Amino acid sequence: MDSIIEKYQLFIDLLPLLMTGLWMTFKVSMFAIIIGSLLGFFLGILRTLNNKIITNIIGLYLHIFRGTPYLVQLYLIYFVLPSFDVEFLKFDSFTAAIVSLSLYTSSYVTEIVTAAINAVPKGQSEGARSVGMSKIQSLYHIVVPQALKLSIPPMSGVYVIIIKSTALLSVIGISELTRQGENAILRLPGNLMFIYFVIALMYFIYCYPVLRFSAWAEKRYGSIGVDPE
Amino acid sequence: MEFLSNYFNFRIVGQYTDVFIEGVLTTLVLAGICLVLSIFFGIFVALMRMSSNPFVWRTAAAYIQIIRSTPLLIQIYLIYYGLPFLIGNFFGEEATAIIALTIHSTPYMAEIIRAGIASIDRGQSEGAMSVGMNKMQNMFYIVLPQALANVVPPMLGQTAVLIKDTSLFSIIAVFELMGAGLRMYSETVIATESYVTTAVCYLLIYMMMLVFSNIVQKQLGGGAWQTAH
Repeated sequence: MDSIIEKYQLFIDLLPLLMTGLWMTFKVSMFAIIIGSLLGFFLGILRTLNNKIITNIIGLYLHIFRGTPYLVQLYLIYFVLPSFDVEFLKFDSFTAAIVSLSLYTSSYVTEIVTAAINAVPKGQSEGARSVGMSKIQSLYHIVVPQALKLSIPPMSGVYVIIIKSTALLSVIGISELTRQGENAILRLPGNLMFIYFVIALMYFIYCYPVLRFSAWAEKRYGSIGVDPE
Repeated sequence: MEFLSNYFNFRIVGQYTDVFIEGVLTTLVLAGICLVLSIFFGIFVALMRMSSNPFVWRTAAAYIQIIRSTPLLIQIYLIYYGLPFLIGNFFGEEATAIIALTIHSTPYMAEIIRAGIASIDRGQSEGAMSVGMNKMQNMFYIVLPQALANVVPPMLGQTAVLIKDTSLFSIIAVFELMGAGLRMYSETVIATESYVTTAVCYLLIYMMMLVFSNIVQKQLGGGAWQTAH
């Protein structure tokens, strides 16, 4: 019983520190999700325009970001880009985190948006064209709204991946949840396992609703056969 | 060439060829062991998840959800520090890393295998039952072989993720491809060559996977199989 009270006391003591970490995790992941989704959305639409050069360039971009681990991308953006001696590319750790995570997000989102747009029946855009809409109008008014609905389930799956990836940002010194946990462990090395459990629980509380939402959305809007995980 | 070698010193990379080859091989071996283990356990978790006994399937579902909503990094830390607590300092770092990654990727495999089992027509089981097979025989002789053949493409995708996930082993001081890059960086202190070479090695592995999965998709079952899926 004593040990439970002791652990509870410890938990209460650690909570402010870990909550700042969770807030940072939330902030970084939200930035990355918003910027990455916009970029991915843009690239995904470009990719469906059937221009061979653009499609190939975006395909290369996707292969590069899907083919290397996020940890490597993070090191490349944080350590390698500054060595090019361009003032603009000398990111501080927070910018590097957001840039790398946004690019990583966009690689997933591009694929989903492309698949979603292709999943909208062709008759829809043909119908739009036949009532006199231009290509842009048919995309904007007819195809994209339907595609967005289809892309909700896999998109929330991607967001879980992105939130989980923020744990890696501790290696470049962002004071997010994992990092704050490590700081707490430096102070209280005896409670290492307990602290990691609390961190895991906090990630679980953040991610699990998104995962459940993804499953619910898939039941509601149907699957387009893209499973990000 | 002058211009290029200002940015990228091939001679230094040449000195580290052996390290990187060793890193690639270690990554492939570690990922291969994890792949085999996680498919093996994934079959059992998938069967547990599909069980009609609420205790059994809820256990499997809880395992799947918990792993899917916490970051791999935290799981690796928990196993790395927790395993010695539980059973003493029995395993080396490599074995610990393999255990952690297997525990991480088993649920993903289980979900893929479950989708595969669900995709098998009911007539197959009914036929098996009607020729006198029991439930076990039906599962292992009739359903699973077909299910596993059906899920080869998503499983190859998961394998690519698995290979990328091994990069996190470098954080708990297991030598693999990322570790090779980190060793080169710590010895030469040139970020560009170290990390770009690492990324290129990962891309090479990824390309091999792409070519392999194209061959598999073409070979496995021919055209009819492809139209069915």
